Amino acid sequence: MDFSTHFVAAFELTTLPQQLINGLLNGAIYALIALGYTMVYGVLKLINFAHGEVFMLGAYGALFVSWKLGYQPDGNAPPPSLMALVLMLLGAMLICTIVAFFIERFAYRPMRNQPRIASLITAIGLSLLLQYAGQIFLLNGTPQTIQAEKISPFSGNVVLNLRGADQSRLAEAEKLKPAWDAAVAEFKARMPLEPGGEFNLSQEGERLHTKQGDAERAYKAALNDGNAGVMKIEVPKGQVVLFTITIILMAVLTYLVMFTKQGRAMRAVSHDFNAASLMGINIDSIITFTFLLGSALAGAGAMMYCTFIPGTKIDSFLGLAPGIKAFTAAVLGGIGNIPGAVLGGLVMGVAEYLVVWAGYDSYRDAIAFLILIVVLLFRPGGLLGSAKVEKV
Amino acid sequence: MKPSIKTLAFTLVSTFVLGAALTGCNGGGDTPKTEGDNTKPPVAGGTTAVRPVPPSEGPMAEGDTIKIGTVCSVTGDNKPWGEDSYEGSKLAVEEFNAAGGLGGKKVELILGDSASKPDQAKTATEKLMSQGVIALIGEVSSGNTIQMAKSAFLKGIPVVAVGATRTDLGNEGTHVFRVCYSDDFQGPVMAQFAYANKNLRNVAVMTDNSLPYSQGLSKSFITAFEKLGGKVKEHFYASGAGGNSNYSGNLTEIKGENPDGLFLSGYFTEVGPIVNQARAAGITVPVMGGDGWDSDLILASGGDAIIGGYFCNHYNNADNRPQVIEFLKKWRAKHNGKDPGTTMGALGYDAMAITLNALKNAKTVGAKGILDALEDTVDYKAVSGDITLKGMNGNPDKRAIVVEITKKDAAGNWQKFAKDFVASDIKK
Repeated sequence: MDFSTHFVAAFELTTLPQQLINGLLNGAIYALIALGYTMVYGVLKLINFAHGEVFMLGAYGALFVSWKLGYQPDGNAPPPSLMALVLMLLGAMLICTIVAFFIERFAYRPMRNQPRIASLITAIGLSLLLQYAGQIFLLNGTPQTIQAEKISPFSGNVVLNLRGADQSRLAEAEKLKPAWDAAVAEFKARMPLEPGGEFNLSQEGERLHTKQGDAERAYKAALNDGNAGVMKIEVPKGQVVLFTITIILMAVLTYLVMFTKQGRAMRAVSHDFNAASLMGINIDSIITFTFLLGSALAGAGAMMYCTFIPGTKIDSFLGLAPGIKAFTAAVLGGIGNIPGAVLGGLVMGVAEYLVVWAGYDSYRDAIAFLILIVVLLFRPGGLLGSAKVEKV
Repeated sequence: MKPSIKTLAFTLVSTFVLGAALTGCNGGGDTPKTEGDNTKPPVAGGTTAVRPVPPSEGPMAEGDTIKIGTVCSVTGDNKPWGEDSYEGSKLAVEEFNAAGGLGGKKVELILGDSASKPDQAKTATEKLMSQGVIALIGEVSSGNTIQMAKSAFLKGIPVVAVGATRTDLGNEGTHVFRVCYSDDFQGPVMAQFAYANKNLRNVAVMTDNSLPYSQGLSKSFITAFEKLGGKVKEHFYASGAGGNSNYSGNLTEIKGENPDGLFLSGYFTEVGPIVNQARAAGITVPVMGGDGWDSDLILASGGDAIIGGYFCNHYNNADNRPQVIEFLKKWRAKHNGKDPGTTMGALGYDAMAITLNALKNAKTVGAKGILDALEDTVDYKAVSGDITLKGMNGNPDKRAIVVEITKKDAAGNWQKFAKDFVASDIKK
């Protein structure tokens, strides 16, 4: 059957391990942003729709720090340095913390005793305000890019070989190489006789050009044949750093929430807002603390997203796509639940890449929401959340 | 009231929809249903369908000045194009007015900002029409131009597109013209360049599914390349609201397929990161694309990886056509000696100049007069090439130039001429 052959043919097992790792790396960023959504929801029962815009401002923070350090798109840049990366990370986190402080103090706190829908609308309004104001005030809305390859000392890939090449076939392929080399030399020798240059060849030049191409193709095809069974995982070193920092940040967060006084207060507020305040917990400061913590994580995420995914364009709508995905991840994992946000992020990241792997890359962005709908149908509280029967 | 899971789901869905609606996608908007670029035999100018005629005669010029509107992406993703397009049009108007205008009557150019989004292009067009413009210039992208054309149809106001290359654009009506080539030329040009000049046989194509332009260009490239005997595998990504700048998924699959070339039909905003990440992933084959690559921002996001890539462009600053030399002299005088950064400077100038030329030849000073005069344009010597619109369904036969990306030199040039093509060069 047509459909089934297509379905089976699309599953190319050799790229599966690589896609799973890609998915995990992708999911780590979602998880980092999702933590911000879920923590704020935990203490405040508010979905902070401006979180994506905090993320966006963090990216700008990292960009400006990198420019300040001399890594401009044009002109000479200083040599790559680890210090610059650390400064950019701290810069982004600091900017996000400051922005979050003002957002909480002047937009959300005055709304706290109003019906919850008012806070929600404020959050959406704030999100749009930052997006469109950013288009005017942040570098006139011209998209910019962090010059990651000039900054990052982590170049090259980490390679993990799972299954090697067919050596006998590779040796066979190497026998075709002299023919290609000869054709290249022959064409090169002809070039000085071609007044029109590479793209306006005479008949003889055209013949040698084609010959060179055919020889190259024959060699490459044999080489690919030998490499057909190769299964390996190749990850840019920068992304390994990204993943490591993400894990460290999550560990720090776990420590803060589980083993410190602030963390205990945070959990208490999340459990019962009113009772916590009666027990002498300063609600305002705990909420601010939670906000700042979540936003600092978004800042770190933004810096890494824009640096270790080379070429990411920074404009005032940067936070939109990761924001929506991360929010979905938070709901998927069970909003208000910290391990849930991490799990949700990773599940979504991997799901996206499995869809691409299966050959349905048009549906990459839809799968996240499909999973969300299915999960919510069967587990309304999310993967790790508890579904409570609510009295209205 | 605590939010139940229902309200959660509702907010989720509504934010996504809201977000998508507000930000749109670069070229998004309604794509016309007529798609038959390659299914029906083409008539002159490439379009196949019968073009609807606007139902009204259109307004006449009123007041002391003749008002002409231009919709430009002066903010948002396509800002580098939009600004150049506006500056080019402004230059043409200033020149026209300095030469005495139309019998002493000056032309007033009114700018509408589309923010690089189709929905805002529509709003801007409607605002301009309410201000009494009798002709419209723009846009640089197909998605936005389609919206302009739809809005202007009922009022019968001519729309002269600057850089919209989507093949079926002319199907919007007889009021639509353009000064650029269309994708049914650009695609085959790149296909032939890839097959004959670069000796490629097995090309991976990456299409931006949220851009009508990218979909159209990929389709015409694939059809032409397969006709030549090559093999193609198409991959998709999305640049719009749900988009993601991490292309490792597509690139892993492409790497597994071992293509000998990569064709990227999207805009420079996405092409830069894709090429950058492709090189990092170990894909070293030649990369190629369409005129959507044309902004020097691609050098910043593409890094070293984009150097040596080829794309199809409308004109080149180093061209020795007398019109180009003349145009650059005027442009530099206004912009501190700098050349236009993108091709849209010249195309914006051409679109305006050809409209003003039509205004001069028009029987009546109004939308209908300009529309008829535009349709009668024969062999107009524009900066980007000679333009004939008579009997072409709004699609002039233009030449296309394939350029190679180089490092920026001291004068700011980064495109090296590789080969030029005219319609008769394409093997049918």
